[in-house]
Amino acid sequence: MSLTVWSVLFTSQTNVFGYNRAEMISYIFMAAILHGLVLASALYGLAERIYSGDISSLLLKPVSLFSYLAIEEVADKGRNILATLIESGILIALFQPEIVLPSAYTTVVFLLWAAGGVILNFLFSLLFGTLGFWSPDTWGPKFLFFIFLDFSAGKLFPLNILPDWLQSALFLTPFPYLTFMQTQVFLGKVAIDKILIHSSALLLWIVLFYLLNKFLWHWGFKNYAAQGQ
Amino acid sequence: MPEPVITVRNLKKHFSVYKKEPGLLGSVRSLLRREYETVAAVDDISFSIKQGEVVGFIGQNGAGKTTTLKMLAGLLYPTSGEVSVLGFNPWNRENAFQKQFSLVLGQKNQLWWDLPAMETFLLNQAIYDIPNPRFRKTLNKLVDLLDVKDSIQIQVRKLSLGQRMKCELIAALLHNPKVLFLDEPTIGLDVIMQKTLRDFISEYNKEYNATIILTSHYMDDVKELCERVIMIDHGKKIYDGLLSSIINKYARNKILSVVFAAPVSKNDLKKFGTIKHLTGSSATLLVSRKDATKIAARLLESLPVQDLNIEEAPLEAIIREVFGNRAKIA
Ligand SMILES: Nc1ncnc2c1ncn2[C@@H]1O[C@H](COP(=O)(O)OP(=O)(O)OP(=O)(O)O)[C@@H](O)[C@H]1O
Ligand SMILES: [Mg+2]
Repeated sequence: MSLTVWSVLFTSQTNVFGYNRAEMISYIFMAAILHGLVLASALYGLAERIYSGDISSLLLKPVSLFSYLAIEEVADKGRNILATLIESGILIALFQPEIVLPSAYTTVVFLLWAAGGVILNFLFSLLFGTLGFWSPDTWGPKFLFFIFLDFSAGKLFPLNILPDWLQSALFLTPFPYLTFMQTQVFLGKVAIDKILIHSSALLLWIVLFYLLNKFLWHWGFKNYAAQGQ
Repeated sequence: MPEPVITVRNLKKHFSVYKKEPGLLGSVRSLLRREYETVAAVDDISFSIKQGEVVGFIGQNGAGKTTTLKMLAGLLYPTSGEVSVLGFNPWNRENAFQKQFSLVLGQKNQLWWDLPAMETFLLNQAIYDIPNPRFRKTLNKLVDLLDVKDSIQIQVRKLSLGQRMKCELIAALLHNPKVLFLDEPTIGLDVIMQKTLRDFISEYNKEYNATIILTSHYMDDVKELCERVIMIDHGKKIYDGLLSSIINKYARNKILSVVFAAPVSKNDLKKFGTIKHLTGSSATLLVSRKDATKIAARLLESLPVQDLNIEEAPLEAIIREVFGNRAKIA
């Protein structure tokens, strides 16, 4: 959880970045929970597993590699969410902050978008994995990705504080749909008439990255070297 | 004529590798201009294998044996050529195909390192959809045959190489594969363990009429298990036929290992054959194949022999011989 938790909990300022106190605290908790749910992934080492030939024994078995990876991912997320919920629970019990609670309708949208974010991030992880078909050095691209992610998914700060032109530019990328839009709908900051557009955008990104994955994995397998022996 | 279980036609696998000179300068240079080089790991190989055959793949290091097996198993995409195993194209990795074969790579393991082997067995039961009674029956039998009752409940990383290899084999056989690819299954094992494993493989072949391809650098493995061998050199097939006929044709020598009751001198031994090795009272001699028994008899007569063994020349020596001859003809 970011340091801002403490600053928010202990300052008397009433309006930060256009969020009132309750909204800010809710944003921080939501961002932390979504970070555990969406962004944390067991698959960041996938490229190494591919390059080293570790996945060979899976490929030989009558089980789909992707289902297997999805199960690993879900198990890992389960652990993460539990940890974040306990952490948040303790903080909330200690400080009893005001928290914004969404309506039933927005809760449903929130849950759907959160699921979409999970799927999108899974597709990102798979995409990074394919690097392992060609190169052992995946550190560079991953580093850049994580830096960009920190700034563009709303993990460090809400994107609303960015200048308008930058916000518009970011919305041409899939990154705001990983966690940021989920926090916004939770806080009731997405107008009802915009929900359909954003839902379509999220779905479009999922389809796009699914197809990109399909292509790259197909190509990658032909290049697979099954090393390690 | 039964249909062959495995058919390979004009199979090739070429790897593209880039050369990098050592050091920082080399790294920089390779960034600017990578020089690629093509390695023809498997270069136009064809053969077919019938059900129930145990075929030995032999060849020197880097000959292309493992690469061929990986293509047969569907791990590697062939550069060109055709492969059919049990009527499937392995590359498609269909479940129906994968349930009927196993690939065991000598050092690479499918066992989970941090868990007891039993956990991997149970996972495989689920993955291969093995009904419980059959699973128990097969498992008990394999555990009995390989004598690993105590090992399967112990964390894999704590097992010895031999124990691990046996568990590895069990994991690969639980679903009763009809086709088995074994890449150096006896590597690094002691002589007794090698023998156990060989007997076991032979048993498995007879019981299930399983088709087996085996690679090994050990003459004993190949001689005991494989009537037929396929010899590979630099990615090309250079021999395909009975092991006995190449031994008769190319193994010009046999090895006599002798232990004497008292130390003998080089001079005493020289007249019997080429001395490969002599320390105190034990020696190994290279003798011509057809005279081996005669020479052994003479040795027994003229020197105080305590123990004597006639052994086949090592596999590598025969491979070199075959390859040398082929090069001369070509
Ligand atoms: N992934 C790879 N990339 C580049 N070259 C490779 C790769 N895998 C194998 N080779 C090369 O292909 C050739 C054949 O290798 P392979 O592993 O099939 O030999 P092998 O017959 O199994 O040898 P050994 O008896 O040592 O196990 C070797 O020259 C090896 O360096
Ligand atoms: Mg090999």
